[in-house]
Amino acid sequence: MLFEVANLTKRFDGLTAVADLSFSIAHGEIVGVFGPNGSGKTTLLSLIAGMLVPTAGRIVWKDREIQGAKPHDIAAAGVVKTFQNPQLFAELSVFEHLMIAGHLMLKRRLGWRRAATLFNPDTGHAGADLEKRATDVLRLCRLEAARDQAAAGLSYGEEKMLGVAMALMCEPELLLLDEPASGLGQPEIENLEAVLRDLRSHGTTLCVIDHKVGFLGKLADRAISLHHGAKIAEGTPAQVLNDPRVIAAYLGQHHA
Amino acid sequence: MRLVLAAAAFALLPLVVKSDFILTILVFSFLLGMLAVGFNLIFGYTGQLSMFHAAAFGISAYATYLSMTHWGTSFWTGMLIASALVLALSVIVGTICFRFRLKEFYFAVVTLAFSEMARLVVLNWNGVTNGTLGIILQEKPNIWLPGQGLVKLEGTLMWYYVSLVALALTVIVCLRLVNSWMGRCFAAIRLNDELGDTLGINVFRYKLAAFVVGNIIAAITGGLYAFYLGSIEPGFLSIDQSLAIVAMVLLGGRGAVAAPVIGALVLTALPHMIHLGAELRSIVYGAILILTILLMPQGIYGTLALLGRRRAV
Amino acid sequence: MGQLIVGQLLNGAIVGTLYGIIALGVTLTFGITGIVNFALGAFMMLGCYMAWYLTDGVGMPYPVAVVGAVAITSLAGLVADQTLFRFTRNNLVNGLLVSIGLIAVMEGAALLIWTSTPKNMEYVWPGVFMVAGLVVPKMKLLVVALLLAVILATYAALTRTWIGRAAYAYAQNPEAAELMGVRTKLLQSGVVVYSTGLAGLGGALYASLYSIDPTLGAVYILKAVEAAILAGIGSVMGSLFGGVLLGVTEGVGSIYLPIAFRDAYGLVFLVAILLFKPAGLFAGRK
Repeated sequence: MLFEVANLTKRFDGLTAVADLSFSIAHGEIVGVFGPNGSGKTTLLSLIAGMLVPTAGRIVWKDREIQGAKPHDIAAAGVVKTFQNPQLFAELSVFEHLMIAGHLMLKRRLGWRRAATLFNPDTGHAGADLEKRATDVLRLCRLEAARDQAAAGLSYGEEKMLGVAMALMCEPELLLLDEPASGLGQPEIENLEAVLRDLRSHGTTLCVIDHKVGFLGKLADRAISLHHGAKIAEGTPAQVLNDPRVIAAYLGQHHA
Repeated sequence: MRLVLAAAAFALLPLVVKSDFILTILVFSFLLGMLAVGFNLIFGYTGQLSMFHAAAFGISAYATYLSMTHWGTSFWTGMLIASALVLALSVIVGTICFRFRLKEFYFAVVTLAFSEMARLVVLNWNGVTNGTLGIILQEKPNIWLPGQGLVKLEGTLMWYYVSLVALALTVIVCLRLVNSWMGRCFAAIRLNDELGDTLGINVFRYKLAAFVVGNIIAAITGGLYAFYLGSIEPGFLSIDQSLAIVAMVLLGGRGAVAAPVIGALVLTALPHMIHLGAELRSIVYGAILILTILLMPQGIYGTLALLGRRRAV
Repeated sequence: MGQLIVGQLLNGAIVGTLYGIIALGVTLTFGITGIVNFALGAFMMLGCYMAWYLTDGVGMPYPVAVVGAVAITSLAGLVADQTLFRFTRNNLVNGLLVSIGLIAVMEGAALLIWTSTPKNMEYVWPGVFMVAGLVVPKMKLLVVALLLAVILATYAALTRTWIGRAAYAYAQNPEAAELMGVRTKLLQSGVVVYSTGLAGLGGALYASLYSIDPTLGAVYILKAVEAAILAGIGSVMGSLFGGVLLGVTEGVGSIYLPIAFRDAYGLVFLVAILLFKPAGLFAGRK
């Protein structure tokens, strides 16, 4: 198995955000994790990406336990996450964002030899490769028009897409997306879907979390439903959607 | 391009300006400018308000002298040893601060604390540092000149060129760093370190890199400055010295590698150009600091660049 | 030896209360405006000189002079707030540097007006108490009592009154407090001015005990910041305890270690606290 979560638990001062959760993801899959607001989805991604340390349980990536590792080490190992609310380097341009996000690419290509590029920028064609990759990602994410715009001036949809674009620059093997479609208009969602399908066709494994099922239903091979941090259903999106416990969880939220 | 022109202008200046007074001011400005440019790597580019700068500067000044007198090394070897010492200290202080994720005010306070501890040691280690009185340096470093061989580094004109070259090299090194992938890591840390972390940037490593490089530049400056001035005293390591560097960077501008040199020029030249007592000088210095922050937060360079852009549009 | 230690404990406690009153200003200002006002040391110096000038120069009785000094210092604080600090709210670096600029201006002005020669006030209240064979000047006890009263009153005001609760609510969650009707700007200016007033009071009382010079604020503000961090920024009673702890350590420490390193204790404390208990010794309390 490419990726596995076993008995993962996270408690904050008595509140259990993730409760004894276990699931796995195979190479090339798109797995959707959904649940109502406050069901522990974002906490789950933060745990996987190393931004939080779990209270108990294991996270296994390529047969290596990674729970509690530093975010940058996890990213370097190939697991990259995006943020629900886009996190950006406000005053930099879109292209500069991608060049920063290309850090891992340089690191993988050159290793310690990247120190040499400080004196000779052309070492190993690193700079040129990076720029080419950034241009490709811009095209894929349809951000070419905004290339030299400062991130502070982007629309919300563009900001979210830039988040995905930066994650792509990290050349992830497992990409974790935190509510990528929330706040987007229909054309932007279609654009996003196209990008994600393209990623899958190139062998990237995806784990997408969202609170509404619609977007995930079309895209995911498999769905997992969370409620109060615990898994209440797993299966094809259609199966999970019709699971009575899932319906109850959503209904419960509507009544609350 | 503008930098090359500026460097050429300064290189030719002594042909026109023969005043020892003006050239002396410029030597001090170049050296302090070098200090400020190095500090700006940490402060302006990586976003960490370090107060360790005066310590790096002062420790190196003392260490250069001590290695010369106790081990009989040359000035340049002494400077190398002093820089190695500052490198080691910076790694220790930086590791402590960054491992414990001290940020903003807390980082400033802890680096200040280490800097003060260093000053107290220098102040009280009378047998070695001569305490409050400081040390008079009579020796001058040797340098090799084409056609003349090894000569003593003496006189304002020679120091003028040595400090100009040192400043130019500092600016070149910093430009290289800032425009490289490492400079992008610095920017990521300054603007959003959490995001940088998830993008695979080892925030700790590059914070430390900026801190260490900045302090080594300070260390090199420390040796040169002390031997040009001809004396060392514990005030080299004072809080006021650290703050003076911050003021130069703010006044010159944080956003460009060489901009702090403008601040160094103004703050070094101004007190000498208009004759003021120490008290009035302190008032003027304070007023400049306050007015810069409130009215010109981008510094002289940033403000001029902004005006230039507006005119172009 | 025992007497020496008790004597140093007492001296440390007195100096520590002075650290505490400035630290209280540091803590309050940081909690409400998000900046560290390093110029509080300079305001303390202003308080010293005003008390000295009003008694020895103008000839007022000392208690009136203290009130006058506090009023003048607060007024200076108000001017500084409206012309400078108003523009640096929640901008730590700018606030820090503006306050440092202000120190340079105030110290320079003080040196111009009063020169660097230390000034001594006439003894306000001569005489000593003899407590268990120890000599304790009456004035020192009075100063400590007054400072303690002010710190306790501030604590009571913050916990018991509407203004205090508003301030506390604001420090916890500015947006929510604003929605609940806390008048942010007034509160922020009020706290900046109150803190300068506290520093002025500390200075006015200090002037009756020790000789004064224009640079005395620098030491006190450093110690106050150390005390505030030691206790955990935001803690009112903590700033008092932090100040006293620091003062006592310095006093007792100088019996055993060279006096030259007295200023290092606070620094060592500070680093240790920030590394191992960053919320401060009194974390969790108000």
